[in-house]
Amino acid sequence: MAITETSGKTRVSAALGREALVKWAPLLVLLVLCAFFALMEPRFLSTRNFARILIAASPALMVAIGVTFIILMGSIDLSMEGTVSVCAVTFAFCFLWLGGTLASWAWLAIPLAMLVGAALGFINGLVHVKLKIPSFMASLAMGFVGTGLAMVMTGGDRIRIEDELYRGLLTERALGFPLMVYVAGLFLLVAWFIQTRTTLGRNFYAVGGGEDLATASGLNVNRVRIMGFTLAGVFFSVGALLAVGRIGIAETATGNNFMFLSITAVVVGGTALWGGIGGVWNTLVGVLIVFVIGNGMVVIGLPGYVQDAVLGILVILAVILSTDRRSISFVK
Amino acid sequence: MSTFIKDFIEREKINRRNFLFASAYGLGGAAALGALGPSMARAALTDPTIAWSYRNRTNPYWNEIVSGGEAFVESLGMSRDALTHLINEGSSEKSLADVKAILAKTDGNLALAIDTNDAPNARPVVEAVAASGAYVSTLWNKTDDLHPWDFGDNYVSHMSWSDEGPAEQTARILLEAMGGKGGVVHLGGIASNNPAIERLQGLKNALKDYPDVELLAAEPADWDTQKANQVMSAFLTRYGDEITGVHCANDTIAYGVLEALRAEGIEDMPIVSYDGNPQAVQLVADKKILATVFTNPHWGGGITASLAYHAAIGHFKPSEEPKEHREFYGPTILVQPDDALEFKANYLDSVPTYDWTDFWGPSNGPIVYK
Repeated sequence: MAITETSGKTRVSAALGREALVKWAPLLVLLVLCAFFALMEPRFLSTRNFARILIAASPALMVAIGVTFIILMGSIDLSMEGTVSVCAVTFAFCFLWLGGTLASWAWLAIPLAMLVGAALGFINGLVHVKLKIPSFMASLAMGFVGTGLAMVMTGGDRIRIEDELYRGLLTERALGFPLMVYVAGLFLLVAWFIQTRTTLGRNFYAVGGGEDLATASGLNVNRVRIMGFTLAGVFFSVGALLAVGRIGIAETATGNNFMFLSITAVVVGGTALWGGIGGVWNTLVGVLIVFVIGNGMVVIGLPGYVQDAVLGILVILAVILSTDRRSISFVK
Repeated sequence: MSTFIKDFIEREKINRRNFLFASAYGLGGAAALGALGPSMARAALTDPTIAWSYRNRTNPYWNEIVSGGEAFVESLGMSRDALTHLINEGSSEKSLADVKAILAKTDGNLALAIDTNDAPNARPVVEAVAASGAYVSTLWNKTDDLHPWDFGDNYVSHMSWSDEGPAEQTARILLEAMGGKGGVVHLGGIASNNPAIERLQGLKNALKDYPDVELLAAEPADWDTQKANQVMSAFLTRYGDEITGVHCANDTIAYGVLEALRAEGIEDMPIVSYDGNPQAVQLVADKKILATVFTNPHWGGGITASLAYHAAIGHFKPSEEPKEHREFYGPTILVQPDDALEFKANYLDSVPTYDWTDFWGPSNGPIVYK
């Protein structure tokens, strides 16, 4: 009896230790990375450099938050590159058509781009749920459709957004950081609110944690999924708006690289790929890890290809850490 | 042994014998065809199909190339749809399969312009074309040991671009603008791409004459605006005010660099780039970029088709042309602030009408192998 109790306790404390490790490991990695780069090159720690990292990270953070909701449900959304391109291009066309400056009716282009993102996400969810196509394939295909659509809309051209007011996202600073960083922060809080304070947010965890249970409890899982993909589409479009604000160009290539960046960030941040574990704060840490590596490697003068290798290793480490291998009998 | 098995073995023996006979017959036939082949190939073609084989049209560069091909076909009095498009989507296997299919369909009555997608694929393509008596001109990709003059008239020409010289020219403009001192950073293309390597080498060549300028760093930005933006920001952290000039491997990289500088409120950094995209040319006119290089893909696409066509109909005989008319570099035009607007009006806003029989006028000398 006594023996059972002790071993039970050990198991509990081991599980707690493991849980704590998994929970805090990403943040620890981020701090270690910052300390390492700062040691190699003190200029890394300057406010201006952190502003540079955050400028680069803001659009990717929005996209990564979008996909976080999907990964929490145990699905995956790979449509971000196409959705971001379409939203960016739609925004740019409407913005220029409605006057080309935020001081006119052109501001309507912003909600319109978000609507387009929502619509694309909604279709994505419908295709996945109603046609019973795995989310991986449905969203990947929708992504290709989006890239193609953006190509047709632009004919391969770049559209420049020169409006000083809109570009204020990048050029205007408060406390040393450009406005776009604060916009991204605001949407992070919105995402956190959705995750913790709304039924939809809790339902994401329910679906990801055990879909059978959720269904048995009377949850309309299909509806949750479609709403999840729609929500992700909205966040992709916010990412697109910030990306256009950062570069001043909307084109088919605006969406490039977001797939790799966002999925890597979500996984490195500690959100489990099979759902139910993690959240938007993990994603914030993950995005920062990815961009601190990108920035720090150049700052200390390491060649670019080492960056990719380091990121790849981090992804594997993150998955190893967040996987309880005893509970998994096989991996597909 | 059962009769069934005996019958089976007997039948197989006969089959094998038939197979051997058939093979021998086939080989003989092929040899006979081979003996006749060259004489057939020497005859000029009448009204050959004109085809362009390339990656795809969604890429702006290849779109320009093919629009040149269409302009050439229209200059012959045909509709632009008369040009057959063979789209390989970046697959060498598909490229070769397409060529074989159209050779079979046209029975060798073909004038083909092609980028074979990668260098090793050029040989099988050229051999297939030559064997069926058709005519081919290649662009960009071929191995160094493959030469048009080794195939009589059927392999008409090869055109490519060397970026080292023009990149050195832009680098000199940059280094002059920097006053011959300070620090320069280079943002390159995908590290393994040949143009990326050549454009960096151009900068290094120019730097030899400017001992007071330090090459602070050269980092790949993968031809990507957003990547370039990030890399430039990180350069600013590492080198700050030490950076007094930026050498970009192409225009899309320059856009990202300009925005990274704008975020820091830096407006007057000397920058040079490459490719001559319309927006970059406008930026040159606005003096945001000091120079870019235009390679005239429209002319390249048209003249490659034209060479194959005119050789095919016997307008000229490739084997009687000097070697520099069979392997040559494409045109490069340096665009600087003074002539940017004039250049834009002449080349970009309205596409000039080219004389598609002036095969070598705008070209840039024979290809040199290292």
